[in-house]
Amino acid sequence: MTYILEAKDLRKQYPDKLALRGLNLQIEAGEVFCLLGQNGAGKSTTINLFLGFVQPTSGAAYINGLEVAKNPLEIKQHLAYIPENVMLYPHLTGLENLNLFSRLAGFAYAESELRRYLEHAGLPAEAVQRRVGTYSKGMRQKVGIAIAVAKHAKVLLLDEPTSGLDPKASNEFSELLRQLSGQGTAVFMATHDIFRAKEVGTRVGIMREGELVDVRPTTLLNANELEQLYLHYTH
Amino acid sequence: MKTFWILFAAEWRHFRAAKGLVLLTSLVLLVGLYGIYYGTSEINRQRQHLAELPALARHNVEELKVKFPDEADAGEIGYYHTTFAVHHPTPWASLALGQRDVNPYYVKLRLLGLQGQLYASENVNPTKALSGNFDLAFVLVYLFPLLIIALCFNLLSYEKEQGILTLLLAQPVSAATLVAAKLAFRVALVLGLVLVLSGVAMLWAQVPPDGRVGLWLALVVLYCLFWFAVAFLVTSWQRTSAFNAVALVGVWLVLVVLVPGLLNVFVSAARPVPQGLELTIKQRDEIHGGWDKPKTETMNRFFALYPQYRDTATIKERFVWRWYYAFQHLGDQSVQELASAYTDGLRQRYELVNRLNWLSPAINAQTSLNALAGTDLPAHLAFQQSATRYHDALRGFYYPYLFHKVAFTHADYAKEPTHTFTSTSDPTTALSGLGKLLVSTGAVLVAGLLLFRARPVNPR
Repeated sequence: MTYILEAKDLRKQYPDKLALRGLNLQIEAGEVFCLLGQNGAGKSTTINLFLGFVQPTSGAAYINGLEVAKNPLEIKQHLAYIPENVMLYPHLTGLENLNLFSRLAGFAYAESELRRYLEHAGLPAEAVQRRVGTYSKGMRQKVGIAIAVAKHAKVLLLDEPTSGLDPKASNEFSELLRQLSGQGTAVFMATHDIFRAKEVGTRVGIMREGELVDVRPTTLLNANELEQLYLHYTH
Repeated sequence: MKTFWILFAAEWRHFRAAKGLVLLTSLVLLVGLYGIYYGTSEINRQRQHLAELPALARHNVEELKVKFPDEADAGEIGYYHTTFAVHHPTPWASLALGQRDVNPYYVKLRLLGLQGQLYASENVNPTKALSGNFDLAFVLVYLFPLLIIALCFNLLSYEKEQGILTLLLAQPVSAATLVAAKLAFRVALVLGLVLVLSGVAMLWAQVPPDGRVGLWLALVVLYCLFWFAVAFLVTSWQRTSAFNAVALVGVWLVLVVLVPGLLNVFVSAARPVPQGLELTIKQRDEIHGGWDKPKTETMNRFFALYPQYRDTATIKERFVWRWYYAFQHLGDQSVQELASAYTDGLRQRYELVNRLNWLSPAINAQTSLNALAGTDLPAHLAFQQSATRYHDALRGFYYPYLFHKVAFTHADYAKEPTHTFTSTSDPTTALSGLGKLLVSTGAVLVAGLLLFRARPVNPR
C-alpha cells in the first residue's frame, strides 16, 4: 500500500551540521503523528523536506506516493501547512487573505463559505473584515488554520501550530484535528507540547540530534509516562 | 496560467495598498507630463522665433530701401543687409530636445566672413544648460529606471522578509510563476505609463504617423525592459531588500552617471578637437590684416579662387567693396582647415560615443532618441553645412554686382537667395541603437534566468 506520508532513509547534511540522519517513517490516512524533540533536533528540517523547501542529501520524502523532490508542485495539491508563525499580507483582510490562498490552492469559495471557514477556525466575526496588520499572532494563526482546512488536503504538516494560541483556542484546535483525522486526513505535527501530543496524537515520535529515537502509539502511555520518556531521551 | 493571473491580480491589490508607491508612480506621471510640456513649449518657442525671422529680414529690406532710395552699390547692401539661415525642427524634436538648446537654431548672416558668424548664438544660461533639458526623453531615460527600481527592489524579498513566502510556496505555486506574475504586473504598470506619456507627447507634437512612432515605442519599451531585466537579475540573487535597493541604485549610478562621465572624459582625450579660440583669432588676424596688405596681393589670392573675375578693373581707389569682401573671403579661406578639423573632431567624438554606447544603455537610448528626433550633433552639423552653402550662394549672388559694377536696384532684393533647413530623423542610428539595446536586455535577462535556475528560491 502507499502511505500518505513516507520518508525513506531521508538524510540532510548542511555544511556545518548533519540535520537529519536517515529518517524512515510511514504515516497512514487518519493518523496524527506528533514529533517531539528539542530545538534543533531536526523537526523543522523534516517538515521542510516534506514541503520540498529543502532538498535531501540522500533518501526521499513521499507525499501520497509522489516523491517530493521530483514533484515539487504536484505534492502541494495534497498537503496543507501551518507554520509556527503564520504571516499574511498585512494590508489585506483575513477574508481576503483566505480567499487569495484558497484560490491559489485551486478553490473558488463564495464569501459565505470563506466566513464559515474563518469562524470554524475560531476567528471572531468582527475581525474577518479587518486588515491582518491589526491582528494578534493568535488571530493570524487562526487564519492559517482556516487556509489549511479550506484546502481539504490529504496531509496536514504542522510546525508548532498552537504557539500563540490561548489554551481555549489550543483545545479547539485539537478538536479540529480530531475531526480532520476522523475524515481521513493524515496529520504530521512537530510540537513541544507533550500534553497535547498525548491528547490528539495517535503516535508520538521522539527526535534527538537528527535521529528518530523512539516511536510509540499514544494509547499505551499516559502524559506523565510520555514526559518521562521524553526527558529520558533528551538528557 | 490561472495561478499566474490570480497572483497578477493580487499584485494590483498589494500595489494599491502601498501608498508610497502609488504616490511615486503618480509623481512620475506628472513629471512625465511636465517633461512633455517643457519640450513642447521649448520647441514652440523656437518655432515662433523662426517664424518671426522672415518679417525681420523684410523689415531690414524696408530700412535699406529708405536708406538707399535709388540704385545702390551692392557692397553697401551686402554690408548692411542681414538674412537668416534657419534650422527647423522635426515634429519629434519636442519629445527629445537633444542639442537644440545649446546649438543655435538660426544664424544671422551678412556677406562678411562666414566663420565669425556661424557660431554666434543666443546667450544661454550655462547653469541651466548644465542641468540639461527636462524633456520626455530625459524623464524616460533617467527617471523611469528609478521608478522601476522602487517597484522591484523588494520583488521577492518582501514576501520572504515578511514570512509570507512559506505559506505562498506551500500552495501549488512555483517560485517562477510567482516572480513572473510580480514582474509582469510591474512591467504592465510601467509600460502603461510609458505608452500613455509617449501617446500624449506624440499627439501634442502632432508627429506624422509613420515608422518612427513604432521605433520610438520600441526604443523606450525595450529600455524599460532592460531595467526590469536588471531588477530580475538582482532578484534572482535572493538577497535582502536593503541589499537589492543598494545594488540597483548602484547599477543606476554606474550606467546613468559614472559611465557617461567617464566616456565623456575618455572621448575628449581620445579625439581632441581644436579650440574655437584659435580659429577665431586666426580669422580676425587675416581679416584685420587685410586692410594693411597691398591690394594687388589680396586680389591675386582672391582671383585664384574666382578666376572668372580676374579680368575686372584693377583697384586704384583707397577703398572699394569688392576688395573688402575679397579679404573677408580670404579670412574664411585661411581657417578652412581649422574649421573642418573642428567639425571633423566633433563628428569623430560623436561616432566614438556611438561605438561605445553599448557600455551604457542610458547613453544608447538617449543617442537613439535624439537621432530619431533629429536633434543630435549630425543634425546640427548638417544645418551648419547647409548654412555654409547658403553663404556661398549669397556670395555667388553679390559678387557679379561687385565685380561687374552692376548697380543694386530695389527689384534685386527679391532675387536674393533665401535659406531654409529642416533636420531629418536618422533612423539608421536609432535602429542600430535598438539592436544594441536588444542585445543588452537579452544578455541581462539570460544571466537572470541562469542565476534564477541555479539558485532555487529558499522561502526561509
